[in-house]
This record gives sequence, C-alpha cells and structure tokens, in this order.
Amino acid sequence: MEAEKSLQNQPYTEVGTAKPCRICKWQTPDPTDPHRGQCTANRHAMGGVWKRWLRDVENTTCSRHEEGKLSFRDHV
Amino acid sequence: MNDIASAKVLEYKGKTLNFTPEDPAEAKIPSDELHEHLQKPSTARTKRLKERCRWKHASAGEFIEKSVTAGIERMRYLTEAHKASEGQPEVIRRALGLANVLNKSTLVLQEDEFIVGYHAEDPNMFPLYPELSHMAVQDYLRSDYSPQPADEAAAINDYWKPHSLQSKCQPYFDPADLGRMYQVSSMEAPPFASGYNSIVPPYETVLEDGLLARIKLAEKHIAEAQADMSTFPWNGTKGLDNIAKIDHWKAMVIACKAVISWARRQGRLCRIVAENFETDPKRQAELLEVADICHRVPAEPCKGLKDAMQAKFFTFLICHAIERYASGYAQKEDTLLWPYYKASVIDKKFQPMDHMGAVELVEMERLKISEHGAGKSRAYREIFPGSNDLFILTVGGTNAKGEDACNDMTDAILEATKRIRTAEPSIVFRYSKKSREKTLRWVFECIRDGLGYPSIKHDEIGTAQMKEYAKFSLNGNGATDEEAHNWVNVLCMSPGLHGRRKTQKTRSEGGSSVFPAKVLEITLNDGYDWSYADMQLGPKTGELSSLKTFEDIWEAFRKQYQYAINLGISTKDVSRYFEQRYLQLPFVSAIDDGCMEFGMDACALSEQPNAWHNEVSTVVAANSLVAIKKLVFEEKKYTLEQLSQALKANWEGFEEMRVDFKRAPKWGNDDEYADSIVSRFYEEVIGGELRKITNYSGAPVLPTGQAVGLYMEVGSRMGPTPDGRFGGEAADDGGISPYMGTDKKGPTAVLRSVSKVQKNQKANLLNQRLSVPIMRSKHGFEIWNAYMKTWHELNIDHVQFNVVSTDEMRAAQREPEKHSDLIVRVSGYSARFVDLPTYGQNTIIARQEQDFSASDLEFLNVEI
Repeated sequence: MEAEKSLQNQPYTEVGTAKPCRICKWQTPDPTDPHRGQCTANRHAMGGVWKRWLRDVENTTCSRHEEGKLSFRDHV
Repeated sequence: MNDIASAKVLEYKGKTLNFTPEDPAEAKIPSDELHEHLQKPSTARTKRLKERCRWKHASAGEFIEKSVTAGIERMRYLTEAHKASEGQPEVIRRALGLANVLNKSTLVLQEDEFIVGYHAEDPNMFPLYPELSHMAVQDYLRSDYSPQPADEAAAINDYWKPHSLQSKCQPYFDPADLGRMYQVSSMEAPPFASGYNSIVPPYETVLEDGLLARIKLAEKHIAEAQADMSTFPWNGTKGLDNIAKIDHWKAMVIACKAVISWARRQGRLCRIVAENFETDPKRQAELLEVADICHRVPAEPCKGLKDAMQAKFFTFLICHAIERYASGYAQKEDTLLWPYYKASVIDKKFQPMDHMGAVELVEMERLKISEHGAGKSRAYREIFPGSNDLFILTVGGTNAKGEDACNDMTDAILEATKRIRTAEPSIVFRYSKKSREKTLRWVFECIRDGLGYPSIKHDEIGTAQMKEYAKFSLNGNGATDEEAHNWVNVLCMSPGLHGRRKTQKTRSEGGSSVFPAKVLEITLNDGYDWSYADMQLGPKTGELSSLKTFEDIWEAFRKQYQYAINLGISTKDVSRYFEQRYLQLPFVSAIDDGCMEFGMDACALSEQPNAWHNEVSTVVAANSLVAIKKLVFEEKKYTLEQLSQALKANWEGFEEMRVDFKRAPKWGNDDEYADSIVSRFYEEVIGGELRKITNYSGAPVLPTGQAVGLYMEVGSRMGPTPDGRFGGEAADDGGISPYMGTDKKGPTAVLRSVSKVQKNQKANLLNQRLSVPIMRSKHGFEIWNAYMKTWHELNIDHVQFNVVSTDEMRAAQREPEKHSDLIVRVSGYSARFVDLPTYGQNTIIARQEQDFSASDLEFLNVEI
C-alpha cells in the first residue's frame, strides 16, 4: 500500500533547501508552468501513481528526496 | 504463452466454429511475438527507410531517443524578421517572418527519400514557437533538448515575452482561474498557455490551382481594391475596409512567393547532389526527377501522383510546423489524391506507375510523418505517450452525391499502412452501408494486424452534423448539403469540413478539455482539491454536509462543470481574438478560397462553425454517481461522510466498503440502472450544459469525448473515486468507453449501452479490445463485418479496436528491445507499445479483451 504519510515524507516548503524537488528523481515538471512541478513519489501497490502538485520546485523538499532522474517508463 | 491456433471452439447455429488462423503459417508463430512478423514493406527502399527512421516519440513529457533536440533556426529567423519589420502592418510582419524562415533555413535531404522537405535544420530536430507561449519554450530551455546556443534561445524567448499570444491573452483573466487551468487536472490549459493548435489545411487549392495562380488572384484583388478606393464618389463607410484587405492580400502574395522559392531551393539542392555527389545512376536520375517536381509544385497545379504527394507534404510542413505549430494531419486523402492516382496509375498520362508504385509512395509518406518532430509543450508531450504527435487522416465515406467514396487510392493507402506498420499517421475510416467490401477488407486487415486503426466513424452522423452546424454560419455560407459529405476528423474524433474553404483553421474553434471526474472530486469537497494541488480549484458549491440528496450532488456538479467549461471556452475565444491580430496565417489564408475572396485572415473568417470541447474521464464520474446513488441514497448502506473518510484514506481501512463501491453497477453492461443515470449525465449535463455556450463562430459547443493519453494524466492527478478506483489510477480511456475491465457482459452489451447516449453529443470515443484468435481466424472478417453493421444500425458515432494479446504485451514489457513493431491503440491515436510508460502499458493490458459468445453472434446476426 501507499507509503505511510507524515509531514516529513510529503513535500513541504523549506526556503533555500539544499535538496529541492527540482533535482529529485520523483519530480517531473508541471505540464504548463516550468516554475511548478509534480511529485510522483506516492505510488500505490496496485499500480497507481498519485501525483502531488509542487508550487515551487526550488523551495520544496521532503524526507524521500533522492537526486536523479527516472526513466520515462517509471513516470506517467 | 498461448498458441494462436489453440483458441476456443464455439457452437453456433448448429455449427462448430474453430478459430484457427486464416493463414495456416501463423499457427507456427508464438503468440507473444506475432506482431514482429507482420510487416511487409513493399520495396527494399521503404524497408531501409523504416529501419533508419528518426522516430521522435515522447512519453511522460520526455523524448525517448536521446538524439532528438529542439532546433533554433525557426525562432532565430522569425525573431530577426519581427525586429526588422517593426511599424509595418502585423499581417505583413507575419508574412515577412515566414519568408525569412523559409529563405534562410537550412535544407535537409536524406538518403533514399523521394518525398522531400523538413521543417528544422537537422532531421533530429524540431522547431519552437516563442510567439505562442513563452512558458512552453522556457520548459524546453530547462530540458536536455534545449535549442543551442542556449543563450541565444533564452534571449529570443525573452524578446517574445511581451509579444507572445500568452502575454496578449493573460491580462483578461483572473490569475487564480489561470492557475487552476495550468495544472491540467480539472481543465486543460488554454491554447495561449500551451501553444497547442490544430488545423485542416485546404490542400485542394494547392493541388488544383498551384500557388502561382493564388498569387495572381491576390494581386487581382489588390488591384480591384485600389481601383475601388479611387472611384468617385468616395464612401468612407466602405472604402476604408479595403485597407485591411489589401494588407491581407499583400501578405498572401509574400507568403506564397516564399513557399515557391523554398520548394525550388529544395529542388536545386536535389539537383546539386545529383550532379556533384551522387554516384548511383539510378538515384541520380531520381534526384533529378525530384528536383523537377519541386520546381513545378506547389507553384503549379499537380499533374500526377508524385506531384500531388510532394505538394501536399510541402503544404503540410508550412501549415503544421513552419507558419505556426498545429497538430494533426487532417485531410480526405483518398479523395484528394484520386485524380492524380487516376492520371498516373490508370490513365498513365503523367508520372506513370502501377498500383504498387502508389503503395510505395504512401509508405514513404507515412515514414516522413513518422519522423516529423513537433515542438509542442510538455503537457502535450505527456498526453500522447508513445507517439510523435496526433497525425490522423481520413478515408472512405460518401461523396457529395451520397455515393460510396472509396476508390483504389483508398485501398493503396490501407495496403501501404498494413505493409509498413507505423504508429502514425493514424487513419479514420468513415463507415457507410455503401462502403465497398473490397475496401472494408483492407480496413479489417489493418485492424486485425493490431495497428489500432483505422478507427471507425459513422458516415451519416458526421454528415448530419456538418449540416446542423451550417445553420449557425455567421455569414450564411456554411456547408451545403453536398459539401456536408466533405468531412474529415480534425484530430482524433471531431468531424470538420475539408475542401477549398470553410475548414477549421485554429483549435480555438474546437478542442481543449474538461475532466468531469476531477470536477466531481472537487464537487464533493466544496470546490477544494485535496488530492493533488491542495487549493481551491472551483467555486464553492456546498460542504458535504449540505448535500442532502442525490440531486443536490447533481446540481453542485452542474455548477462546478459550468465554471470549468465557461472558462475553457472563453479562453479559446480570447485566444482567437488575438490570433487574428498578432498570429495571422497569411499562407493558410492564401490557400483558402474564403479568405482569398474576402481579404481576411484564416483565424478571423468563420464560415462553417465547428465548436467542440473534449470531455475526458466522464465514465469515472458517471460510474461514481451511480455508486453514490445506489449505496448512499437508495440502499443507505453508507453515508456521504463515511464515503468521504474512505476516499481521504485511499480506501485503506475501508476495504469492504471499496468492494461494494467497485461492485456497484457499471457503464457498458447494458444495465438499465447504471445506463439510465449515465445517459442522463451525458445528455443533460455534459452535453446539455455545454451547448448553452455560444462560441466565436456563433454555434453551440458540443462535447467530443476523447481521452487520448489524458486519461493517464488526469488519473494520476486525482484521488480515489466513488466508483472504487484507487488514487492515482488511470481514468477511463475513451470518451464513452466502459472503464477498463468493467465491461463484463460482452461486446454487444457494450454496444447496447453506448447506443443509449444520443442527444447533445458531437463525438464520443469507444475503445474496444477484441480477441486475437477470433479476429485472425477464417471467421474474423464475417464477425467484424457483422459487428460493424450492428454498430451502424445502433447509430453509434465511433469505435476503435485493439487486437493484441496480453501475452505479447507482457513479453514486450519484459524484453522491449525485441518488440519494436508492437503497436497499440491508446485512445484516438496509436503508439509503439514499448514507448509507453509502464503505467500506460498496464492500462492497455487491463482493458477487457472481448470474446464473442454464441448470443453475441446471434445479436450481430453473423452469417457463417
């Protein structure tokens, strides 16, 4: 099932964070506005990828931050 | 792994039906690699062209091939011209911009090509459009495929910020509303933010008249207007109209001359290569022939099939990629090419060839489209996964006299399609009871080979729709009864006229989307989006506790939906207002008889309205309403508050409750309880509310349900829903298709359900997956043909098919490198399976594979 949620493992604002969502492997850019983004870390055992909108990809982070880039096969 | 030959046996009308392959040789092919054995390019050349095709498929917003990147030349030369032309009329500036791009851009000529021309400086590149959306270009600048030099590209994008369509339109809307649209969760972003567009180019005038004749026509109009202005007595109330008209005609002349010059430059390149570099005498002669063709067309009328194919391709590049970006490949290709097929193949009067020569030409055309790159925004790189863009042409149907319009060119197109096996361009077949069986057999062959197309549209429904829209024509010059037969799908689903005039020139007329399932989700939360954006996404329509009855929910949904569609359509019309002032299309205008007659821009002139808006995820919303009505308001097994708690927990801790909601009646099973609610939802709300809106062209807007890949994106931006869906799972994959895996009562039950929705609809996509062994058996054609006749009699607008096995899709997931020829129908377009994200692949696998029972065959009245 979906990973247990806490304040730390969901995106939260941290101005000037060293681990911004923009460089996180779970992040994919917003479809329209390049200053926003989408978090894809919430993945359901049944195959769902439940995205969360990221208002500001430079100043948002969470405990699941991992630098990198997923293959298109792992996104939606 | 199953063997194709080991399919089931069926007792039907006293006969035992065995579904062994029609081609006995197929019995030896493992079912999990069937589609790797089906391609049969007609010549060694097209085989080579396919092997070296520079695919530009995108998925999840990214290009799959690492070599693909944005070019800079178009944006560079467009900007250069824009700066140099300050102070001139805007339409002249647009023409000069096009001319500068065409005069200075690098030409591309590739080995083995016979149809030539490209829209960027390198065949691995595609152009960008900073004059449309600076946000879309900004996204490219931050990507791995940014145009180079990056500094120059950034400076160009900065230059366009105040001049772009996006900047012109945005001030007329509340930023909060725009922020909601930009997320693409309850509404698609407006065209001025995405830059997305589509068009039906009037190819007919180019092929029939040639551009030199169009120039003469414009010059004649200019002379007449100038004469009118100097005629005594001057009348200022009319005479001043000539000023704008003269500017438009002048711009048309500039644009047409530039296109002729560009085509001839392409011809000279072929001649230079032939005379100085090519050593193979056969290829040398061929290049000289291409040089001659490019010198002659599109300047002059086409005389043979090679002329027509080349002139058509040049026109496509200008209308879809150089003058402005526009998705699509809309044309009635068999009708358009028939006179030239006749001249070359039947009469042998010009460019003589046999039927297989025509087939080879079509194969080459399909490969040119397959390597066409589209500089579309990230949203559109996400929502057509596994493909380049939406390239869809139309064949079949009836002609102006109401007779079967199929001809030998139709068959050449379909045969080439079957042989070369590419995901694009997709094909729409207009099905009529008059369609000849020879052509229907080709349609079937493509479908059963798993291409996912032709998709089938109901000929009479489309024709009647053209007549209906004509009644709203603002200048009283909509389609005549004869012209109403001249329709094609503009993109995946929606019919629009083709021909010398009255075609759709901008997607601000019809297109863009609203997502009813997301709208329902926020309806149950007073307009708040808790599951994706954590913000107010619509108006406040009532806390959950205030929704006491099913009708309360229904009416709250109606208000949320009204907000979303009003915003969607007003943003399109505002786009159009500025398109005709700053984004004129002088070339498209020059080849449209109406624009030529009136001296008007193509974005401004509306003769035939074609107003539509796409509904995506309607079935998730409708199934959810069915479950709420049954379990909350009728059986009272749960309260709305309990449902809300379960949804917020993604059903965790509410497993039994989820099973109840999952098992509630579902659309697509000929279930009267579900179907009565769902059909009311479609007709009264989805279509009924939409048609209250009047668009730029004066017509009511109608819904066109077509999911494309949006059903994945919307699903992933949505929490769990009362139909039993988990958060993040895909939405429904059609427009009126049952939710994947929920149509358990067979293919004819689906048809009966779908036929219940008739009012207030423009088009609705029906996705069906048929059994591979049955379709490939000797009975396959009879069963499919009977299915199509029944579908037609039930007055259903559309259907498209996947004929591909789960075994083969699973095998492709395991070893993608061995399954490059596996094509699947996503929704409204086909894709290479291995170029889809795993999430999307699983949605295709999850679709119900429809078998045919004896009762299905009886309902279809199959004669075997």
